[in-house]
Amino acid sequence: MKRFAYSRPTSVSDASDDAAEDGTQIIAGGTTMVDLMKIGVLEPEALVDITGLRDLERYEVGADRMRFGALAKMSTVADDPAVIDAFPALSDSLWKAASPQLRNVATLGGNILQRTRCPYFRDTAYAQCNKRNPGSGCAALDGGETGMHAIFGGSDACVAMYPGDFAQALVAFDAEVTTRGPGGTRSIPFADLHVLPGDDPHIETVLEPGEIVTEIALPMIPAMRNSFYMKARNRESYAFAAASAAVGIEMDGDTVRDVRIALGGVAATPWRATAAEESLKGGPLTEETAREAGRIAFQDAEPLEGSAYKIELGADVVAGALMTAKSRMGGE
Amino acid sequence: MAQTINTEVTRTDARRKVTGTATYAADETPSGMLHGALVCSAIAVGQVTAIDTSAAESEPGVVAVFTHETLPDYKTVKGFYAGGPGSSSFWPMEGTDIRYAGQPVAYVVAETAAAARRGADLVNVTYQEADGSIHMDPEDSFVVGAGEDSEGMVLTKGDLQAGLDEAAQTVDMTFTTPFQHHNPMEMFSATAEWRGDRLTVWMPSQSVRTLRHGIAGAYGLPETSVRVISPFVGGAFGSKAGITPYAMLTIAAAKGVGAPVRLIVTRPQMYTVATFRPESRQQFRLGADAQGRLTAFEHVEIAQTPQFGEIVNPGTHITRAMYACPNIHTEQRLARSDTNSGGFMRAPNEMQTFFGLESAMDELAWKLGMDPVELRRVNDTMTHPTEDVPFSSRSLMESYDAVSNSFGWDQRGREIGSMTDGDWLVGYGCATATYPTNILASNARVRAQGTGNAYVELAAHDVGTGTYTIMAQIAAARLGLPVEAVDVVMGEADLPVAPISGGSTTAASAGSAVHDACVKIAQQLATQISGMSEGPLSGVDPSRITLDDGTLRGPDGQSQSVMEALQMIPEGEIEVVGTFRHPALTDQLIKATFSGGYGTAGPVTPEFAMFAFGAEMVEVRIHKYTHEIRVPRIHSAFAAGTWLNRKTAHSQLMGGMIWGISSALHEVTETDKPRSRFLNANIAEYLVPVNADIREVRVEMLEEQDDYVNPLGVKGIGEIGIVGTAAAIGNAIYHATGKRLTALPMTISDVLST
Ligand SMILES: Cc1cc2nc3c(=O)[nH]c(=O)nc-3n(C[C@H](O)[C@H](O)[C@H](O)COP(=O)(O)OP(=O)(O)OC[C@H]3O[C@@H](n4cnc5c(N)ncnc54)[C@H](O)[C@@H]3O)c2cc1C
Ligand code: SF4
Repeated sequence: MKRFAYSRPTSVSDASDDAAEDGTQIIAGGTTMVDLMKIGVLEPEALVDITGLRDLERYEVGADRMRFGALAKMSTVADDPAVIDAFPALSDSLWKAASPQLRNVATLGGNILQRTRCPYFRDTAYAQCNKRNPGSGCAALDGGETGMHAIFGGSDACVAMYPGDFAQALVAFDAEVTTRGPGGTRSIPFADLHVLPGDDPHIETVLEPGEIVTEIALPMIPAMRNSFYMKARNRESYAFAAASAAVGIEMDGDTVRDVRIALGGVAATPWRATAAEESLKGGPLTEETAREAGRIAFQDAEPLEGSAYKIELGADVVAGALMTAKSRMGGE
Repeated sequence: MAQTINTEVTRTDARRKVTGTATYAADETPSGMLHGALVCSAIAVGQVTAIDTSAAESEPGVVAVFTHETLPDYKTVKGFYAGGPGSSSFWPMEGTDIRYAGQPVAYVVAETAAAARRGADLVNVTYQEADGSIHMDPEDSFVVGAGEDSEGMVLTKGDLQAGLDEAAQTVDMTFTTPFQHHNPMEMFSATAEWRGDRLTVWMPSQSVRTLRHGIAGAYGLPETSVRVISPFVGGAFGSKAGITPYAMLTIAAAKGVGAPVRLIVTRPQMYTVATFRPESRQQFRLGADAQGRLTAFEHVEIAQTPQFGEIVNPGTHITRAMYACPNIHTEQRLARSDTNSGGFMRAPNEMQTFFGLESAMDELAWKLGMDPVELRRVNDTMTHPTEDVPFSSRSLMESYDAVSNSFGWDQRGREIGSMTDGDWLVGYGCATATYPTNILASNARVRAQGTGNAYVELAAHDVGTGTYTIMAQIAAARLGLPVEAVDVVMGEADLPVAPISGGSTTAASAGSAVHDACVKIAQQLATQISGMSEGPLSGVDPSRITLDDGTLRGPDGQSQSVMEALQMIPEGEIEVVGTFRHPALTDQLIKATFSGGYGTAGPVTPEFAMFAFGAEMVEVRIHKYTHEIRVPRIHSAFAAGTWLNRKTAHSQLMGGMIWGISSALHEVTETDKPRSRFLNANIAEYLVPVNADIREVRVEMLEEQDDYVNPLGVKGIGEIGIVGTAAAIGNAIYHATGKRLTALPMTISDVLST
């Protein structure tokens, strides 16, 4: 690991000023940051530790909005009965991520900004990786392994998959993030926070240097209550998704009034499946319509050699998540 | 006196381990010690054309940067499979050759571990790259040696084709297994300290004597000038057996800088600087008559080997011992690719081959419309199928009957896909496990004291399995002491000769030497006390005094406890060296073991074939939507002679089964083909089961008496647990889905559309 300077400011404005300096990066829980520094992928000259900004640990589940400070811990939020009751998919998506040790230190703000698990990105022995070293090429696309790569949103420069779970619950339910940068405060629809790789895969979000995510908020909508996060993975816990789906449904009798579907483990960014949602609205939710929605969700997928299985798997997971959400509605 | 053998005894070192007071090799910090770090090759095949060390050398804290040009007095040894003590027969940093990705190319020494690693990052190596392939080409395989040779690499009995022709049903199937890495929890490390011409090496090891012999030989030193110390080992599984380049580099670097050096290999480097389980292909052709009796048995194993050596772990030697059949053909083949040397990893001959054999047997049972357990019963045999000697004991069907009962085998649906539970498809599967009983010469020194305690000393190792405890138990049982009263010292090359901890041999071979020492103590004691004027055994013919677990008994019912007898003699104690020399051990084999090698006899001797047997049954569930494969239940029964410690033995068997689940469903060293590298060289991406994957695990430990294998009647149990698991899981997946999976690991993408 390279030597670096370290500061731990106690005001957001100091933090964002410090973080705007060249070669400086923000660290929260550090579970992504320290990991990537240890393996030489990130070599910041300075780290601004934002965990001194204690106000950002707060969160609340209100009547029409849920707000999460960016420093709220994954485990705290996942465990909160109010969250579990109001928005089970959000709690599920946190519970089914990482391991207890990681969830106890990782923050929600850091979580949404976690980096890809593309093995070529994570190993500096590979010369080619446009994300790590712009312009160097892409080892994955140059004959490499692509079984865990994106089948949506990839480009000729990069097909890395966005690995997070929590972000799927956010993108499906119209979350917004609030940020504080050297230029002031702004809010960004969560769906616009991450950008597609295009020609510049090293640029992953719209955040400017020094811009700190301070809050993640969601409007309360009825589909949240009947929501579920289904995650397919090759071991029971502590594994990234082979495919996942965050879904929520609001029924009007036997008719779907509102439905939300987002897809994990398959896309370059958090990925909402709008066409699949539309296919269900105004109709019944049955095994058949759920499976059809799954098929529609993946109809435009662009699989690589190793990732074709994700189309069938992803469609089944969408159907399974919808059917599970429905079966959990119980007497309501 | 409480029973001390065939009972549950908690590890004597448990408290030390959980409180952190058990010291491992890397806990040793000789004064003035510096830290090493490896620089590993970024290419797989080619040449080093230049190494720029200037940036590394000017990094604060860096003391020296050694390359193939500057490392002084670096010595190498012959590879294990070429008859030497080395983990590989190619030694990096002897020249500019790069033969595999991640090969050491430079060695940095610094004042702190962090500075050493920073220095390593700053070493700039230029290469000339050539084409390579990390995977073998099974179509381009060969047999080691001259074909039909004495080693049995190719074996033919009867007429295979005739057997296939007359069969009512046949199967012809090919299975593949991937590269796997041991991933012991304790990292690889080596600490070397020179004092003049005397060298001390602290290193986690499965064979301290192999290390000392090899290192002393390489440096032309008398063995008395080299100490090798490995008090505890945090898991090895075959990865800490031989002398590795990183150890020899550390020894040379310590000499080069004139100070002790400790190297801790990083986790990613652990995937390339030592051995692994080679990938393999298993081809089976089986034929059976309508009653299920095998008429033809063919197994061709093709295993990966590096360009520069022949790694032969002869799995066909084990599969052909399994079932009666008049027409047998087996071939042990290798195919090359550009990797470091593979080696042994828990059940190196058995895990891969039994995935194939037992899956093929299951397929045959379905084709015959037979209960797979009955297919095994029909083909069970008390005579080795190709060696024409009886098994010294074989409780295969007793194991099947016991596990069937505990598992509820008769509850299984008779049709494919006939069992479901909610969103889960359910399937049951079974498979046979076996492991050869390997025999090695061993010595052990025991000192029994009339004050009520004893010392046991031998150069064996506790690789985490509980060896300290069972050695204490054996001495305690024979001498009539509580287990806590026996101190066991192991893990140093200076101690009496004991075998390498490999091939599930330590309990049986080294344990028998401890047993022998106790018997000899009793004999000496008998001579002394029978000559005394007083005491219950005074005047008794000493040759008629026998040792009966803590008590000396005369022919007419006279008796005295060993401890009382020791108090009567003037010394108050007796110290002897016990030996184990099984009749099947030839002089040559004994010589091999005593000179640091692996002189194993068995599993087939001129009189008997010696194997432990077992059977496993699993329930598998496959989710309708996520297609996740889970194992809620795994049951087994094993018979392996005498159980010394039912608790640690249970842990070994259970641990093996859990690792079998891992091999079946999780574990694979992935590869990057264009650049011939291992891809997931870290334990975040190299999946092994987490607690939540392991649900009900039951092990039945059957009683079995075998007077031939050794005086204790012990067969090895360290490896048998893993052997049948992958096939049992594959067979259960078939039962649930009708899909026959032939490649490990079996994952979500293999069971889609079910
Ligand atoms: C072995 C392993 C397994 C994992 N498995 C999963 C999994 O299954 N599912 C899953 O979803 N995740 C998984 N993760 C990822 C884990 O959830 C993230 O590492 C964690 O959530 C990041 O949070 P942190 O607070 O530690 O972030 P940090 O590591 O501190 O930061 C992460 C990134 O966000 C930036 N950052 C952090 N906070 C802010 C902020 N407030 N404003 C602006 N920038 C900020 C940092 O600069 C950095 O780039 C896994 C991680 C590991 C190591
Ligand atoms: S997919 Fe993206 S992250 Fe992976 S190697 Fe290619 S450029 Fe790098």
